Amino acid sequence: MLEYQNIIDLRGISTIYEGEKIPVINNIDLKVKSGEFISLIGPNGAGKTTLLETINGLLDYQKGTGFVFGKKINKNKTWIRKHVGYVIQNFELDPLAPFLCKDIVMSGRTGKIGLFRFPTKKDWKIVWRSMSMVGMIDFAKRPIGKLSGGEFQKIILARSLAQQPRLLLLDEPLSNLDLSSKKQIETLLNRVHESHGITIVMVSHDLTNVPANCKRVLVLDKGQIIMDDSKDKILRSETIDRIFKNNEFRG
Amino acid sequence: MNSGGRFFMVNIPWMFLLPSIFGAILAGFSCSTMGNFVVRMNLSSIGYCMSHAAFAGAAFGLLITLDPMFTAVLFAIITALVLGPLAEKARLESNVVIGFMFSFMIALAFVFLYAKPGEVATGKALSILWGSLFSVDFNDVILLSVLSFILLIFITVFYKELLAVMFNRKMAESAGINTRIFYFAVLFFTGFAVALSLKIVGGLLVFALIINPTSTSYQFFYDFKKIMIFSPIFGILSCLIGFYFSWFYDFPIGASIVIVSALFFAVAIMISPKRRKGNKNKEKIS
Repeated sequence: MLEYQNIIDLRGISTIYEGEKIPVINNIDLKVKSGEFISLIGPNGAGKTTLLETINGLLDYQKGTGFVFGKKINKNKTWIRKHVGYVIQNFELDPLAPFLCKDIVMSGRTGKIGLFRFPTKKDWKIVWRSMSMVGMIDFAKRPIGKLSGGEFQKIILARSLAQQPRLLLLDEPLSNLDLSSKKQIETLLNRVHESHGITIVMVSHDLTNVPANCKRVLVLDKGQIIMDDSKDKILRSETIDRIFKNNEFRG
Repeated sequence: MNSGGRFFMVNIPWMFLLPSIFGAILAGFSCSTMGNFVVRMNLSSIGYCMSHAAFAGAAFGLLITLDPMFTAVLFAIITALVLGPLAEKARLESNVVIGFMFSFMIALAFVFLYAKPGEVATGKALSILWGSLFSVDFNDVILLSVLSFILLIFITVFYKELLAVMFNRKMAESAGINTRIFYFAVLFFTGFAVALSLKIVGGLLVFALIINPTSTSYQFFYDFKKIMIFSPIFGILSCLIGFYFSWFYDFPIGASIVIVSALFFAVAIMISPKRRKGNKNKEKIS
C-alpha cells in the first residue's frame, strides 16, 4: 500500500491551455481525504472540468505541485489514470455506434490489463460485477447507441467501476437526465461510496441534486476555489446566490 | 486498352492472372480492414488526402524512375505526419483539409505526369490514375501479403485498445491508454494500404475501397467484431466481382471495383435492419 495522507493533494496548481495566457484554474490548493464524497459546483467556465482533468493528468499543470495517491501527477500520469475512474461529460453518441455494452465496460479495464495482454476470466468477472452493481447486467449484449440517457450513464459508470478505482472523478453525471434517472444515478453513487469506500469528486451543475452522501462542497469560480465547506452551510450561503445570480443553475 | 484486353483473354493462360487476382483480394482486405478504424475514428478526411498524396507520390516515382509504389508510400506517410498532428489537436477543419489537399495533390500528380512524356510512361501513368489489371506483379502481391499479415497481428494483439480508442478517445486516454500511438498506427497502416492498392484500383478511386465496405457492414451489425469480419468480406467481394467485370466485359478495373462496392452499400442501406428498427420504435432518450 502506498503511503499518503490525502488521496488528492494539490498545492498551488495552475493549468493553462496550450496557446492561451490566462490560466483556467489558478493557484488551486485542495486536499481530499480517502473516502470523502465531494461535490464541485460553479458556473459555466469556472474550470470544473479542467480541475478534474488536471487531477488525473489528462491536462498538464504549469505551476505548483500535485499528488494523487501520494504520487506526483505529472510524473505518473499513466499509472494514475489506470487507478482513477473518470466519467467524462455527456457526449453525443451515434445511435448506430457498433459497440456492445459489455465491450464498453471492458474498455475501462483496458489500461489496467496492459498492452500485449488479453482479458482473462477474472477481468470478465469484474466486468459482470460492475454491470450488475449498476443494475445493467441484462444489457450486456445490447448496442450502446440504443440506450436511453440514464442507461447510457449507468454503463459509463460501470465502465469506470470496472477499473476498480479508489478514486472516482465524475463530470456532471446527472446532467441531461430525466428526474427518475437522476435519482437512480444518485442512489447508485451513494451505494458505491458506502459499500466500496471509493472516494468521489463529482462536478455538478445543479445545486438541488447534491447526493445525500456528499458532505463537502467546493465552489469554483473563475478558476479559483472560493468556498470549501460542508454541504449545508454552502447551500444556504448568500455567496451562492451572488455567484449564481442570473444563472439557470440557481438551486 | 480494349482490344488489348480481348486479345489477352484468348491467349494468356490463367497463371498470368494469379498475381492480379491475389492482388485484388489482398487490396480488398487491407483497405477495408483499415476502413473500420478510419470511419470510426473520424479520419476520413485525412485518409482521403493520404490516398491522393499516394497518387501524387506514384506520379513522382514515375518521373524520377523510382518504384512508384515506394514513392506512393512515402508521400502518404509524409501527409500523415503533417496532417495527423494538426487534425489531432483539431486545429484544422476537415473540409478545409480536403479542399486544399485534394486539389493540391491532384495538381502535383498531373505536373509530375506531364513532365514525363513518352508512351511507356503514359501507359504506366494511366494505370496509377485508373488502376490496371496487369500492372500487378509478384512483388506487389508479396508486399500486400506482408501488409495484410501485419494488420492481422496488429488488430489481434491490440483489439481491446483499438476498441477503447474508437469508442471515445478521451475516455480511452483516461483509462491509461496511450491513444496517440494507436491514432498514428491507424494513419500509417492506412497510408500503406492505399499506396499498395493504388496500382489495382487507381489513385483517384482507391479511397472508396476504404470507406464503402466498412459503411456497408455498419448497416448490419452492432458488434464491432462482426464488422471487423464482414467489411473485409465485402471489400474482397467488391474487388473480385469488379475484377470479373473488368476481365470479361472490359470495364476499367478501378471503376468497376468501386461501382460494385457502392452497389453493395446502396443495397445495404435499403435492407439495413438497423435503420428499420430505428424508425419503428423511436428511442426514448431522456
